[in-house]
Amino acid sequence: MNERGLIAKILYGGGMFFDIGKWLILIVIVLAIINSFWISIFIVDGISMEPNLHDNELALMNKTHYRKEEPPVRGEVVVLSYPGDPKGKRYVKRVIGLPGETLTIKNNKIYINNEVLKEPYLSNELELGKNESWMLGVSQFFVMGDNRQFSNDSRVFGVVEQRFFIGEVTNVLVPRFIAIEIPNYVNILVSGS
Amino acid sequence: MAKKSQPKSVKKGFFGFYFRKLSFFAVLMLILVIAWAYITSNQFGADALSSAELIALGENPKVQVSISEDGDIAVGGERSSDKLVSVENDDELRMVILDRPGTSYNLVSIELSVPNSSARRVEHEILAIHGVDEASSHVRDSSTIVYEALGVSSQSSITIVAKFPSGIISHPIYKKLLNDLASLEFSYWLALAIFLPAVTTIYMLIFLAFQRRLHKVDIPEKESSSPPMAIPPAIVGVLFRQKVGAREIAATLIDLARRKNVVILDRERGFAFGKGKFDKRLLGYEKTLLSKVFQEKMTAERLEVEKRIANHLYSKKMSVVSAGIHAIATRMGYFRQNPFRLHIRYRLIGLSAFLIGLLGFFASLMIDSLPEVSALFWLGMMASALIIAFTAGNIPLRSEIGKEALSNWLAFKKYLSNPEPIPFSNKIFETFGEHLPYAIVLGCESAWVNRFKEHNFVMPTWFITEKEGLGIDDFCLSLFPIISYVGRSFAALREPGFE
Repeated sequence: MNERGLIAKILYGGGMFFDIGKWLILIVIVLAIINSFWISIFIVDGISMEPNLHDNELALMNKTHYRKEEPPVRGEVVVLSYPGDPKGKRYVKRVIGLPGETLTIKNNKIYINNEVLKEPYLSNELELGKNESWMLGVSQFFVMGDNRQFSNDSRVFGVVEQRFFIGEVTNVLVPRFIAIEIPNYVNILVSGS
Repeated sequence: MAKKSQPKSVKKGFFGFYFRKLSFFAVLMLILVIAWAYITSNQFGADALSSAELIALGENPKVQVSISEDGDIAVGGERSSDKLVSVENDDELRMVILDRPGTSYNLVSIELSVPNSSARRVEHEILAIHGVDEASSHVRDSSTIVYEALGVSSQSSITIVAKFPSGIISHPIYKKLLNDLASLEFSYWLALAIFLPAVTTIYMLIFLAFQRRLHKVDIPEKESSSPPMAIPPAIVGVLFRQKVGAREIAATLIDLARRKNVVILDRERGFAFGKGKFDKRLLGYEKTLLSKVFQEKMTAERLEVEKRIANHLYSKKMSVVSAGIHAIATRMGYFRQNPFRLHIRYRLIGLSAFLIGLLGFFASLMIDSLPEVSALFWLGMMASALIIAFTAGNIPLRSEIGKEALSNWLAFKKYLSNPEPIPFSNKIFETFGEHLPYAIVLGCESAWVNRFKEHNFVMPTWFITEKEGLGIDDFCLSLFPIISYVGRSFAALREPGFE
């Protein structure tokens, strides 16, 4: 092959990279925007959300939710940055206590402003650890894993400010496909003893 | 004995794959691989309590952290990459001191020296997870906060938090600016991402309108019944639209057919091109186009043409055709400068700005110290760069000669588009064929065809079909799809930068 032929081949190859590259860049940009600002797919790593989310399940997170003026509501399963390492650790937990509330753990029961919180998505016999109480300030939330006995959550690292919330987990995609519904606590919040 | 040349078979691109299909699947595979790699790395912990045992007891560590007045952080006298973050009006430090140290300790203590004797005004907290028996923090004196963790396991993670009310730390201006930017809400960045390309579009539209007014082409009042000059239709096309596209290639093919260099065969299932006479007066780009259609055989069947299109991602020949047409039009004095070269220059400017935007986009998503949401600004910049690159092709570049020539051709276009039927004459369909390539490049082929509907159609000799008794509408229904398909496909084969 002469020199011109070789240059033509190189240019052609360059052209092919250009063609592949431009579509690749476009699609990667679109996916990056969707992933960063809209929805993201992630893998649940750990057992602290059992029995509702299992280890290694593929789940979908909606990131638009908390950008609006809507704070998280009780029962939502959320992805949050661990306040002790916001860039490095991200956790999946459930919102239990809301700003302004007093949350008490007493005799393995959760009390919100002195009323027992009944959680239909969990079994009745749970060990919640030592008796303790937290007063939640403005923009402060209390989060817990559903696997109460084995979860590293607000009982350990304290309350979480709203700015650490990343998104709401809306669906489990694989290996089962389910929508994660927010339980209706209004009818099950009964006076505690 | 002379060696008989064998017709060259159509080679399939790369290991038997067509280049276009290969590139499509290559992109698809790359995206799937990237997406899978991303998802598998995107693991969020449903974090369980860890019950790490005390493996080896290390010497109880003491960590000295100090913060200077301008917010620089040092650990044990060495400058740290940790940063104070602006949260509402406070400056906040969240610093990971231990993360899975691999060794257990009885006591970990951290001394934080703060500037301006402000320790009592600072909100402080220690966050300790994964096997820490007890953790607390207290102010020792006006300049020191002490954090302590007892019974620290090898899997633990310890973070100190200190919130400084505004006024204690005086950041340098660039840090203040970065903090201010980081605290901007999503909606501001989104507005900026829309604002940038919108402003660029408005600017380019105004600029183009101004340039068009400055280089206005006179629209003639009278029509002209004959072409103002005997120039190839592709040159008229580039004078009219400043670019070579599918219409110019289709018109050139018809013009070549009319000049008996090509025969177009309409088959029941497809089409074919046949070689005609060997005209020595062909222009360079016409020869190149013919060599693209035909290889070594006298005919080019539909399947062969389609394979040639699918087999190539780009065609050097089609780039040469495009550059050749532009070069002739510029040599004829129709343009102040070669439009092709100007478009390349603007594309390079646009591409450079796009690449800067792309780097900024990924940097803001990947570098922790930059606000993630600022990616929207870079996205706006990339969109603006593309707007500049693609609208620049419409900047009018015609010279005075070009404007006058175009004005004459517009007078001819008026004639071609006139709704009045052409009066019958013996050579009426010869005229139809002669002017058809010009009608195609001037975008009025339908109007030109309509002028002949009242007459009994005589099929041109360069178009061979098995069908009988075709009217002018049937002729157009047979010819136009063939020509437009070949024109569009060949135009799309030009190398990047030749569009």
